[in-house]
Amino acid sequence: MKNLYPLSLLALALAANGTTARAQDLAFVACPIVQDTPSVPCWLTEYEGELYYMGVQSDVSAPFNPPWLGHMALVEGTPSATGERICGGLVLDPVRVAVMPEMSPECDERLVAEPGYVLPFEPRRPPGPSSGRLAFSPPQPPPPPEPPFEPRTFPVYFPFEGAVNFQTPGALGEILDYARAVGAERIEVTGYRAAVLLTDGTVLEERSGLAELRAGQVARMFEGLVDSVEEIDVVFDEAAEPGDWQDRRVDVRVIP
Amino acid sequence: MTVKPRLSHLLLGVAVTSFGWQAVTAQSTDEAAAAIAADAGDLPNGGTAWWEPGEGRPIPEAIEYDNDHGRLRLYNVDGEVVTEGHPFFEPLGPNGRACVSCHQPADGMSLSLRSIRERWEETGGSDPIFAPIDGANCPNLPQGEEASHTLLLERGLFRIGLPWPPRDPWGEGTIEPEFTLEVVRDPGGCNTDPEYGLDSANPTVSVYRRPRMVANLPYVVHRNFGIGPFVGKTGEPALRDPENGEPVNMNLMADARVPTLGTQASDAAANHLQLLRGLSRAERAQITDMQGQLFAAQVYDNVAGDLLAGPGGNAFGPENLAHGDIGFLGNNTTRWVFPVADEWAEPQPGLTEEQNERRASIWRGQQIFHFRTFWISDSMHLNTVGLGNPVKRTCATCHGMHMTGLDTANGWMDIGTTNLPWAREVPLNPWTDEEELMPLFRVTCRDDVPPHPFLGRVIYTQDPGRALISGRCNDVGTIVMQQFRAFAARAPYFSNGSAANIREVIDFYDRRYNIQYSEQEKTDLENFLATL
Repeated sequence: MKNLYPLSLLALALAANGTTARAQDLAFVACPIVQDTPSVPCWLTEYEGELYYMGVQSDVSAPFNPPWLGHMALVEGTPSATGERICGGLVLDPVRVAVMPEMSPECDERLVAEPGYVLPFEPRRPPGPSSGRLAFSPPQPPPPPEPPFEPRTFPVYFPFEGAVNFQTPGALGEILDYARAVGAERIEVTGYRAAVLLTDGTVLEERSGLAELRAGQVARMFEGLVDSVEEIDVVFDEAAEPGDWQDRRVDVRVIP
Repeated sequence: MTVKPRLSHLLLGVAVTSFGWQAVTAQSTDEAAAAIAADAGDLPNGGTAWWEPGEGRPIPEAIEYDNDHGRLRLYNVDGEVVTEGHPFFEPLGPNGRACVSCHQPADGMSLSLRSIRERWEETGGSDPIFAPIDGANCPNLPQGEEASHTLLLERGLFRIGLPWPPRDPWGEGTIEPEFTLEVVRDPGGCNTDPEYGLDSANPTVSVYRRPRMVANLPYVVHRNFGIGPFVGKTGEPALRDPENGEPVNMNLMADARVPTLGTQASDAAANHLQLLRGLSRAERAQITDMQGQLFAAQVYDNVAGDLLAGPGGNAFGPENLAHGDIGFLGNNTTRWVFPVADEWAEPQPGLTEEQNERRASIWRGQQIFHFRTFWISDSMHLNTVGLGNPVKRTCATCHGMHMTGLDTANGWMDIGTTNLPWAREVPLNPWTDEEELMPLFRVTCRDDVPPHPFLGRVIYTQDPGRALISGRCNDVGTIVMQQFRAFAARAPYFSNGSAANIREVIDFYDRRYNIQYSEQEKTDLENFLATL
């Protein structure tokens, strides 16, 4: 059975996630640019006259997932303090990139490879077949929990305006393992949406209803997978205060 | 809490093919054919190629059939299959069909357009494959007339009727679709038919798809790399095996609507054989047991000769498939998608110059498949899974499963075979009277869901594919990938039969992704694909 509640009706004393703005060095929405190289392509973007490097093409396991031509992207990142440049762009590190859902056909810039330019590192995944493994290994699973078992909350993060996607199963694995190991009786799923304060002062807010959608989708993913769970409570908080990427999330609380 | 996937009302999968076969009969006096058979170790040839339901011929451990590119071998790992009384081969339902009707050994256990046309000519349209339920454009059309069977006779397509809105696979009732569906063009007449159409008492969408191969299926239903409780490309919960609750890889049928070979068999028996009583548990087990031990692949190329001659040809032949590593992601070091070693392409003693040249071309085609990069763009569930749009990769990126070229993970995506503007359509102009055969639907995504990332809120499609099951806007036109085996035996290709031959498959990709293959590259790739 799945119970669904707006958070405001529950008066739960939840942590104030999603309500505190966290500063980003840069946060802007712009078209991505793909720059070919003799190996994998670089992904760049331009903001206020500066060209920024976001990352290279890799595979599904990579922490950086390139954006899409045909769409604007929300870029949240920190420019390199040393002025490091790759593919001509000032490196943003760390960087988070989210594809904006609406189509933007003007985002169509493809740059041919610069003659003689070689990436300053060996790409983890070449443009051809893999070497038999994913480019980035998943983190080692934590050791099995020991009693006494405690309620534990796991965050599951989403890209701006995003709900369950190809990245979500990776985040749920640890939660499933824990819930099964402790024989969880109850799971509470709390969904949030958020907003971003852009560098230019604009506040960009995720669409209304996304907190409920995220929570509902994540709750559905647990159905039938943990035999001991009799109930999954779904809670959502549609408040969207400016914050950072950690506010675009669902909290999954596993209760033994 | 348990979730029981709803499995009823699901239809048989669909799919592919290639050039027709020419059986090497026992009475053949063709010396070349005899020499071919001798080279292959005197395996029995296909004799009379067409398998009638209930005819009782056993399928030997190995049997071969000629086709336009060479010769296909079927290999039964567990030895001869007794077909008499076997539910795959017996006409269980009232329309006279058996599973074998549409999964013919000579056609790589699919059904080639050539076979379909030959059956029409030989039986005057009375063969059970032309049964009104799905062998006609719509069941209520006059039977025995070519005009009523154009989709089957011209594209090799069977009608698949799916409920609309989709049924909820996880519970009772239906899914609320993220889009509305309108019929723009309906040459078969079924989607607008008052009895069978979208506005009928049982609203039904009719799409038209090819029957898929029933061989090498352990690869299709593997539970190894990339398979878990969730679908790797979308994050949604994966369907589960009703027998044991384990997640399945959802690579069966064009739209992944059934979880297992057993449920697929039951679905096909009900919807294609019209077997109202349903398959018994024992019958289902007999069918799936046979499916698990049947492998098919080319063993002979008409120019290169015996593909298994010389070292390093581990990609070829059904025996290599049967004993290969199942459910592994191919790579370029230890386990190629299609392992053809360099030494295989070296000139082999005893072969003619022409044979050695063809072997070199086949090897180059394999290299193109693995290493020739191009920009893959605007393809749902490929560019959207962390690779970026566009992504610079190769054929082997998507067709990555060792030995089959399947997707190792749950594999539906949209490369444009059914969605406009890429789908094959008859050009409209004042100088042609050719009419498009395929239906056309207008899909309009709801305002409260994100638009399709590459096609927007209004999409025109010949077949919404997976979206007819999931109800999702971004699944419109996504089709489950098929294996690359027995290509030469089962034209036409793609789920809607839109590529008449292997070259048209290559041309589609060349056009779709602006690959700019050279003529030599196309030839090499075609020669390679024809050997699988």
